[in-house]
Amino acid sequence: MAVKIRLRRMGKKKNPFYRIVVADSRSPRDGRCIEEIGTYNPNTDPSEFKINEELAKKWLATGAQPTETVGKLFKLAGIEK
Amino acid sequence: MRSHREIYGRYVNKKTLTQTAFADMIPKVMKMERFVEQTLLFDFYGDLLTEHQRSVYEDVVLGDLTYSEAAEEYGVSRQGVHELVKRCNHMMEEYEQKLHLVQKFRSIRDSAKELRQVSGRTRELTPEQISEALERISDHILEEL
Repeated sequence: MAVKIRLRRMGKKKNPFYRIVVADSRSPRDGRCIEEIGTYNPNTDPSEFKINEELAKKWLATGAQPTETVGKLFKLAGIEK
Repeated sequence: MRSHREIYGRYVNKKTLTQTAFADMIPKVMKMERFVEQTLLFDFYGDLLTEHQRSVYEDVVLGDLTYSEAAEEYGVSRQGVHELVKRCNHMMEEYEQKLHLVQKFRSIRDSAKELRQVSGRTRELTPEQISEALERISDHILEEL
């Protein structure tokens, strides 16, 4: 199964908050996700992110593709494949 | 919780810091903020887009779909999605330049945060300091309106 790691916007209007989710890439628009592995909160200064390193590595190892933005977050967090 | 700032610190400690290495770190964080900027613009001006534009933009910027995924989803070309997102960004940035809603929102939100800080420190501050701070903050809010 082709699996992607992407950001998903949550939070109220004008108060964005993101979850980092693992989801099936074939139906990107249905809201389901396989697992939530972290969050990104841009409302604080500096912005905060929280990534479950273990899960992130597990999914990367099984071939899940992070999107560009998630890739950047992983890089900032020091998570490599 | 980790923050960008801490990551910077780790980066600086771990490697020998050269001018170019550090300069290289900054755009990455800036780029990260780029889609947050887009999200905020969308929160304020998204209703001014057409339904189709709104829907595609939402999927690409808020749902983090790639251009090709969105293209497939909507039955348009990848190039078309790219153009649409670019056009929407441009439109909303133009609205912002004229109306400054996001800028005002940010500034007033900062003032509200400051008010909270003052409120949390009332015990250590003198009444004069408190009223001075309140006046300064309220001036700042009025300036932004």
